Amino acid sequence: MKINKTTIAFVAIIAAISVGFTGINKPKPIEIKIPSNFPDPVYDLKINPVTEEGFELGRKLFYETMLSRDSSVSCGSCHQQQAAFIQAGHNFSHGVGNKHGRRNSLPVFNALFNRTFFWDGGVHNLDMVPINPIENKLEMDEHIDEILLRLNNAALYRQLFKNAFSVDTISTKEFLQALSQFLAAMISADSRYDKYIRHEGVQLTPEELAGLQLFKMKCSSCHATDLFTDGSYRNNGITNDFRFDKGRAEITLNQNDKGKFKVPSLRNVEYTAPYMHTGSLETLEQVLEHYNSGIKESETLDSIFRNKDGVPRIALTPDEQKNIILFLKSLSDTAFINDKRFSEYK
Amino acid sequence: MKYPLIKIIAFGLIITALLSFVNPPKAKTNGTMVLKFNNLFNNQAVEFGKEYTNAHGEKLTLKTLNYFISNIKLTLKGGGEYVVPQDSCYFLVKQSDIGTQQIVLHNLPAAKYTAISFMVGIDSTRNTTDISRRTGTLDVGSTAKVMYWSWNSGYIFFKMEGQSPVIPDSAGNNFYYHIGGFGGFQSKTINNIRTKSISFNESVSNKNKIPVINIDVDVAALFNYKTPILLAKDPDVMWGELSVKISENYISTFNLGSIDYATATNSDK
Repeated sequence: MKINKTTIAFVAIIAAISVGFTGINKPKPIEIKIPSNFPDPVYDLKINPVTEEGFELGRKLFYETMLSRDSSVSCGSCHQQQAAFIQAGHNFSHGVGNKHGRRNSLPVFNALFNRTFFWDGGVHNLDMVPINPIENKLEMDEHIDEILLRLNNAALYRQLFKNAFSVDTISTKEFLQALSQFLAAMISADSRYDKYIRHEGVQLTPEELAGLQLFKMKCSSCHATDLFTDGSYRNNGITNDFRFDKGRAEITLNQNDKGKFKVPSLRNVEYTAPYMHTGSLETLEQVLEHYNSGIKESETLDSIFRNKDGVPRIALTPDEQKNIILFLKSLSDTAFINDKRFSEYK
Repeated sequence: MKYPLIKIIAFGLIITALLSFVNPPKAKTNGTMVLKFNNLFNNQAVEFGKEYTNAHGEKLTLKTLNYFISNIKLTLKGGGEYVVPQDSCYFLVKQSDIGTQQIVLHNLPAAKYTAISFMVGIDSTRNTTDISRRTGTLDVGSTAKVMYWSWNSGYIFFKMEGQSPVIPDSAGNNFYYHIGGFGGFQSKTINNIRTKSISFNESVSNKNKIPVINIDVDVAALFNYKTPILLAKDPDVMWGELSVKISENYISTFNLGSIDYATATNSDK
């Protein structure tokens, strides 16, 4: 074929048009599948639909140290995938300048099903969650406007935000929506228990099933539904000294809420040691022994722990404790903690 | 077929025509009104750094004075009211930014008005909504940056900061009044949303002119209107029961000043 000027021009025009089309391509939607054993999501995905571009950007931001004052920590520093998105081996997370937070970090998966966030329920919408650790002086100690300045100065981020949200300037809205898209997609629902309960060809062992029965009798009134939390705030007797941390009462200013904390989900609990808002229990054995013999008395202690004789405890024999722990380990979602989509590096 | 398509379409057209007759002609919405907030301390215009004395004889200077005005409603002469649309009804008035002290309400019905009401603060819906409905004045990463609690998610409605010699040097002589609280999400909590209704005492028309409603905000009353607030005793009030007393005090400080008129520009006629 003889290449003349007309052909070159023609090819150039076609190329320009296709590049133009790619440029205005809409972000590709990602379908968020709600597990059949889960309740309906709380977060409105219609307002902020998850797209490949938005999710990828959210992932990049989650692992971006630029979000902290001295660029020393990212969200991922205190929410590590191998530990089901808590900080392994720390009772209180490390923030900027090696400062310690005040509470044990909570896992961030299945966030789109939460009505409130954090141990004290102080935040009510997933979009508003990241501002809390970002602005906390003991965590990332930064302000959103500073972060937006840095992002807007980075050509790569400007391009990524343009691809995901069709904006030329990054604002609070797109910044938080990108993080929400990443968090919304982070669903953990493929444990052995899930496959058993959804009849996906997995059978639990007799010990695990015995543990499940005990769990239903002794634990599930608080660790309810297949999210394994009822989302309520309760004092479980881990401490009776509330001077350091009043929990839910810091939000409601109601003295009856002193020492109450959100019931955490038990999914992936095998990976999320240490336990409780204090991070004071190292093992699941210690957790069950706490409920059997270690509950500390106080005025706001949840009445659910009181026996007929008034002594607060959930009586559990060593065998029962063992079986419950075996059952709890069936809630481990190994596929999730190894899922490359949520990893810092692919 | 009992009802052929053509008959259904014809019927639909007749109904539409009838409905358009029934609908009253829309009022002209090219009117404008200006709300001017004048921050005062004991009847003097507020200046940062200038020394004032409160009702308890405590000397003080101011360095921050911000508040949210929202959910504005206007009472029409002869009854009825005009509600300023939600999406253009959140304003942050800052002493440090003169431009924010004048709220210009556009696209109002050209009519006669007798009263106004507004919130000092932000309604509970916008305090709990997702980020897509928190743009503009409510942008927590921009305009509303210093007016939002991230740990106890909600807007700070009213913020006044300054210094007083009655406060110990160890505290930098500083006082902080950060007042917020929309009533709670799952549990009932402090509700500091305060609504003020102000009668114009006359009929205010925005036909071919622009009324400028002066609202005087004499913040000296924050210290004593209903409940005495002493700088020496309570220099630091944020998320606490006393904030309710402070909001009750400061809402009384929003009062009608003069009503002036500006000439409408061509576009407003």
